[in-house]
Amino acid sequence: MYMSIEEIVNAANDNQKPIYELAISQEMEQTKCSYEEVWSKMEANLVTMENAVNRSVEGDGVFSPTGLTGGDAVKIKNYRERGKSLSGDTMMFGVQNAIGTNEVNASMGVICATPTAGASGTVPGVLFGIKNTLELSREDMIHFLFTSALFGMVVANNASISGAIGGCQAEIGSASAMAAAAAVEAAGGTPEQSSHAFSTALQNLLGLVCDPVGGLVEIPCVKRNAVGTANALVAADLALAGVENLIPADEVIESMYRVGRRMPAELRETGLGGVATTPTGIAIRNKILGTDS
Amino acid sequence: METNATTSEKAKEASYKSCFEVIGPIMVGPSSSHTAGALSIGLIAHQLFKGVPKKVVVKYYESFAETHKGHGTDFAIIGGVLGFATDDSRVPDALKISESKGIDITFIEEPGESPAGHPNTAEIYLGDDNRSARVVGISVGGGLIKVKHIEVEGFQLDPGEMPVVLAITKEDNFEIELRRIFKAYEVRINDFNEFYKEGKYLYQFNLNSQLTHDAHEELVSLGDMVNIIVLN
Repeated sequence: MYMSIEEIVNAANDNQKPIYELAISQEMEQTKCSYEEVWSKMEANLVTMENAVNRSVEGDGVFSPTGLTGGDAVKIKNYRERGKSLSGDTMMFGVQNAIGTNEVNASMGVICATPTAGASGTVPGVLFGIKNTLELSREDMIHFLFTSALFGMVVANNASISGAIGGCQAEIGSASAMAAAAAVEAAGGTPEQSSHAFSTALQNLLGLVCDPVGGLVEIPCVKRNAVGTANALVAADLALAGVENLIPADEVIESMYRVGRRMPAELRETGLGGVATTPTGIAIRNKILGTDS
Repeated sequence: METNATTSEKAKEASYKSCFEVIGPIMVGPSSSHTAGALSIGLIAHQLFKGVPKKVVVKYYESFAETHKGHGTDFAIIGGVLGFATDDSRVPDALKISESKGIDITFIEEPGESPAGHPNTAEIYLGDDNRSARVVGISVGGGLIKVKHIEVEGFQLDPGEMPVVLAITKEDNFEIELRRIFKAYEVRINDFNEFYKEGKYLYQFNLNSQLTHDAHEELVSLGDMVNIIVLN
């Protein structure tokens, strides 16, 4: 089993294999499932992601039971159609899908956790954002998810993907880094470039706290997925341009873990710090959950 | 001062063994640890109790205690207790469904630290007139859980890594029969423990992979002489 990013890069180079193939082989080995079983399971995840983003822009969009979030994917779609976005359409289409996925999540709709539900918009945001630009086939998209997964497992096994343990850096940070690495591979980059994109993306989000208003996966979570997506695309572009990240990916993972351990509980998914305890955050909490809770 | 992580505070073994624990599960929102993971802890209680209880008591610790309302943890845990899967569309309605079945449910926010040493800890008690079961589970991220403590038929144990088969019987030497079945279906055993209490044996088999349908059928066909519990 690959326990470090370095091992993944070396294995891909030594065997002249794409990273997604390493992921599929590892999965078959670990779970004793056939290639077809592993493939169809990932395809089902992709279908879930597609259904979520499609649902997010039907009619006026989807809204959470609290009404705190929803409808923004539709606004972004309309804005994109005017063709005047500042950051370009690959970026804004990615952002639309990231926000849309998390609006579906907040509405208690069905999503695929990547690696978590709170961060479930980031990986599909990047994937669907680059789909048209890179003319990705369905097969390519499933490959993207396998590559993301292999990088994500290294984070999960060496640090954490839980906001309650490591803050939002462990969720959006991990998702963004996984997606950045997979985007580089999808664009034809080398395994080293995937690793640089990964470390750049995670390094950029180090220290990000988990501070859900009222404990709800809405504010700031939905918008953090937009930033996770944008950060992944920037990190992937940097790596593809040949910009290296001097701190190796495995060391960035280690530092993410250490930063998480130093975070007080108030900033780790308790809703007791950050924007959750701003006057407005507290007012929202009291209105929705009652003042006694 | 920030220091390097020591080995004692960090698990070096791979907790996440499948890529579908990182890309997945497919689930009803809004939180993988507080909704999908909570449901999975409820599901362990369901598997342990085997049936619909009359009474459920859920104790939350730390992050679970602070945010269970916002994350839908209550309906998720009860969805698990009712045996629903993480992507079952009935999950958000689990509290209403359990009410219609007449199940008495209490949620308690414990002020202290988790007895399992993890911020996402839930303890679930299920009972009816004759029997009870208890589970302490932690939700470690992305929907993955660990079960730290279970109580069933008077036995108390840490069940270790899932999947686990527990066999509770009054028959002597029943372990041999169970091992014969596992061998016949090529089920590899990672760990084994045996407990004895008040005339009953509990055999705990930690399996290397999920129990196949056929192996499960044969275990169940052993009938009344043994209570077979599969936790996964």
